[in-house]
Amino acid sequence: MTPLSFRFAARELRGGVRGFRIFLACLALGVAAIAAAGSTAEAFRRGLASQASEILGGDLALNTRGRAFDAKEQRVLAHAGRVSYAVGSMAMAEAPSGDRRLVELRGVNGTYPLAGQVTFKAAAPGVSSVQSAIAPAKAGGIDGALVEQPLLDRLHLKVGDQFLAGNLPLRVTGVLLDEPDRLARGFALGPRVLTNISAMQRGGFMTRGLPFGETARVALPPGARLAQAKADLHRQLGGLIRIRDREDAAPGIHRLIDQLEYFLGFIGLASLVAGGLGVFGAVSAYLEARKPVIATLKALGAEGQLVRDVYLIQIGLLAALGVAIGLAVGAAAPLVMGEIVKDNLPVPALFAVYPWPLAKAAAFGLLSAAAFSLAPLGRARSTPPASLFRSDLEGAFQIGPEIVGAVLATVGLAAMAVVTAPTPLAAGIMIAGVAVSFGLLWALGWGSAIFAGRARAGARGPLRIGLANLAGPHSAARTASPAIGLGVALLACVVLIQSALLRQVAEVAPRTAPALVFTDIPTDRAAAFDAAVARAFGQPLTDKIYLREPFVTGRITAVRGQPVEVAKIDRSDRWAYDSDITMSAIGPEPEGAGIEDGKWWPAGYSGPPLVALDTDVARGERIRVGDAITLSILGRDIAARVAVLRKVEVGGFGASFPVVVTPDALAGAPLRQVAIAKATRPQEAAVTRQLGQSFPTVNVISVREQLEAATDLFARLALAIRGAAAVAALAGLLVLAGAIAARARARTREAATLKVLGASRTQILSAYVLEYGAVGVIAGTAGVALGYAAAWPVVVRVFHAKWSMDWAGVAALLAAAAVVAGIGGLLAAFQALSKRPAPALRAE
Amino acid sequence: MTDTDVPKSPRDAGDPLVLEQVSLTLPSAAGPVEILRGLDVTVKGGERVALIGPSGSGKSSLIAVAAGLERPTGGTVRLFGQDLAGLDEDGRARLRRGRVSLVFQSFHLLPNMTAEENVAAPLEIARVADATATARVWLDRVGLSARGRHYPHQLSGGEQQRVALARALASRPALLFADEPTGNLDAANAHKVADMMFELVAETGAALVLVTHDESLAQRADRIVRLRDGRVAVSPEKAKTRA
Repeated sequence: MTPLSFRFAARELRGGVRGFRIFLACLALGVAAIAAAGSTAEAFRRGLASQASEILGGDLALNTRGRAFDAKEQRVLAHAGRVSYAVGSMAMAEAPSGDRRLVELRGVNGTYPLAGQVTFKAAAPGVSSVQSAIAPAKAGGIDGALVEQPLLDRLHLKVGDQFLAGNLPLRVTGVLLDEPDRLARGFALGPRVLTNISAMQRGGFMTRGLPFGETARVALPPGARLAQAKADLHRQLGGLIRIRDREDAAPGIHRLIDQLEYFLGFIGLASLVAGGLGVFGAVSAYLEARKPVIATLKALGAEGQLVRDVYLIQIGLLAALGVAIGLAVGAAAPLVMGEIVKDNLPVPALFAVYPWPLAKAAAFGLLSAAAFSLAPLGRARSTPPASLFRSDLEGAFQIGPEIVGAVLATVGLAAMAVVTAPTPLAAGIMIAGVAVSFGLLWALGWGSAIFAGRARAGARGPLRIGLANLAGPHSAARTASPAIGLGVALLACVVLIQSALLRQVAEVAPRTAPALVFTDIPTDRAAAFDAAVARAFGQPLTDKIYLREPFVTGRITAVRGQPVEVAKIDRSDRWAYDSDITMSAIGPEPEGAGIEDGKWWPAGYSGPPLVALDTDVARGERIRVGDAITLSILGRDIAARVAVLRKVEVGGFGASFPVVVTPDALAGAPLRQVAIAKATRPQEAAVTRQLGQSFPTVNVISVREQLEAATDLFARLALAIRGAAAVAALAGLLVLAGAIAARARARTREAATLKVLGASRTQILSAYVLEYGAVGVIAGTAGVALGYAAAWPVVVRVFHAKWSMDWAGVAALLAAAAVVAGIGGLLAAFQALSKRPAPALRAE
Repeated sequence: MTDTDVPKSPRDAGDPLVLEQVSLTLPSAAGPVEILRGLDVTVKGGERVALIGPSGSGKSSLIAVAAGLERPTGGTVRLFGQDLAGLDEDGRARLRRGRVSLVFQSFHLLPNMTAEENVAAPLEIARVADATATARVWLDRVGLSARGRHYPHQLSGGEQQRVALARALASRPALLFADEPTGNLDAANAHKVADMMFELVAETGAALVLVTHDESLAQRADRIVRLRDGRVAVSPEKAKTRA
């Protein structure tokens, strides 16, 4: 580029950016969405990082399952730094009235918390600190407990009242609001209750073999190196104790933030692609309008390259302006939203202007601008100067540096989208899906234009005018329908996935999943427990409504004679190997075992231990039928051979244990029992209350409550996610507006000519509404079909949910696409008809 | 092709424009249309030739082909001895640069450039060092020194054509094509622009190819070529009067 091209470009820009409003809006919208998604995610990441110690509760956290840290381990930990201990267990809370509710019971020692603060309110008299609120009972007294408000509401308790947790009497000393390490602990099955660790011991919650866990949190001395300390503890304590550090305080939350950022960023990217047609249309229309100038410059001796550079500089500057507007909006939106919702955020966030997410969004915007602008620029370069004499002459799309640049920019856009994604494969599939959809929609737009051209022969009046316009060289079917279709496809995909999953948790799961799960049923009183449940239900128990099996937790420690190395296992499959998983011992083949390979052992089998594995577990270590594996259960190593690989239906009514061994393998082990039941609401209330007398230590988990909570969460998320997806649809609308604006002058002349030929306003209005309404219907139908094609595999294959079609949502989307496009036609018509015919024709 | 590949001084290359058996056929929805049919025209250095003929006779197409804006479908076009068939579009643009200028009926001024910038534009493209100063001189020559900072839409039709004339002659071309230069002007302005054009062409020594409907304007040329249906209708005739 020469100084002359910059000088000429600057002069050309004096004409203003009127024809570039849609160009700027399309770029700014996509960039703003990507920038906002990235900035928000970064704010959460920085927030989490800034409070990493508080979130973890210390610098390091070590977990045991089914046992407490022993004296030797405690000595090692004490040597590493200041230590606090917390024991967690589920328990049934029971009010004096007999009302019962599952709670997450937690006992902490006197050094808790090492980092951050426990917040509570409405404290009882004399309670000034968390330690005074949960102080151990003096002789004959009752231990204090901070409890969450939902428990007080459910059991009709107030501060100062007593209740039982299992067999342990506790007194409410305040309402628990927050604990510093709550985020790192994740999802809770019931309201949280915080007391002291000795109360947990007295209540029998820390009996070896019970499903409790102890967490030791370590605050390292100043100057200690985190990685070194972690490695030292690993070496001294052995590999079976899970150690997390403050830099990985809440891995689940980090993954969620990564996924959320990509989902929102992907919507921004899709809107850049949809809006790309707006960019292409705006650049093409602008260069079309500049054709006499381009031809004049050539007649004055300018070479094609100078002409191209003059307009490349202008488009580049405008693209930079569009990107800058997008970045400003994308950077400001999280700041404003953060200020509004700062008191209701579940995760700490540090809202600020972060350069990296903005740079990423800018790169996406500029690549998109290049991908969609360079081809028209190539056409401008080849504009023949003879068009000064024959205005119908146009430049041709020729393979040249501009087309090569456009292809490179497109490839760069796709590559960057894949490389910056948390899961590149999924991102690759999504990008490919968008590219294929875009291609199909584009082909459909061309096909529709050709069809309209043929169909107009048999049409009359406004319909013929509408079809002729659809078939014409500036047909909105070719320009706007792919963009609208892509927006509708994204929206349809999100709507269909959400409605299918919502129906799954709200309607399908309650029919197929158990309503109740009973844990910690003592094996020696199992039969009595069955009888107690039957009495509470008021009906005999059958396999259809009640299943009870032994239950234990353990790990797979070796496969085919080799110790399991968790680091070598694919990250998505590690869950089955890096912590304890549930196991059972079952004799005869259970109903609906889902066997995919191998054969279940005969009833009464008493040979060497055999095991049935869930295929999702087997995948991590590529375990096949016949392989030898070692299980570590209650401190015992059990060598077993894999007899069965099966697909476990999680959430269904069946023996959904990922690992099942032959009963003899666990003979003599202190097993507990777990049971599942289908129950009506009255049966659920009756059994929860009545078991309090005969089986106070059995936990009753209400699946119904969990599903209702999930339904509520889904419903709340639905609006937000649909709102985000609507950004892509907005890009489609912008392209439609651009197509209408680009043809405004021609429409005015056309309407004037039609009026001169005797057409009424109604006929002209009808023609335009038919034309654009058809674009909306074509784009809407194709968009919904593509949305369906994308949503079905996600629901059925990824979420393993039952597919259900949201016909109302689909109809609403189709109607909205047709109506909005039709309104676009009306606006185009009103704009054209608002001008008097004579001046419009003189301008011709 | 670079600037050095074409003759530096057009006057050294014999006749600035030679057309031999030039034909132009354009496609159309109704089939190919023959616009020019085997034209032979030669324009000598400093000669003023008027092309005259009815609408559709191929006058403007002849200018487009002769100036290298359009490729003929047959025959040979030589500009300053250079056969245009061997040049691509950029090569033809380079050949025109500083040697060939055009004036159009609808002016074709660059709308976002001032009058002064419009006149300077071809000089800047030809990398003439003092383009703006030269432009000012030429605007003065056409009586528009006070309008240098005005945009085309702020000028009258006559003024716009005078700017176009200044733009065409500022580079002192050897060959000026004028396509109906007075066609969009009222009588007074048309007369003024025509006088100015002939005066300046005489002063610069440029050859002139003038397309016009106006018989009296054509009579001011050295020679008149009458076109009909893409052919030279009669042998080129000597104009009866001189400007």
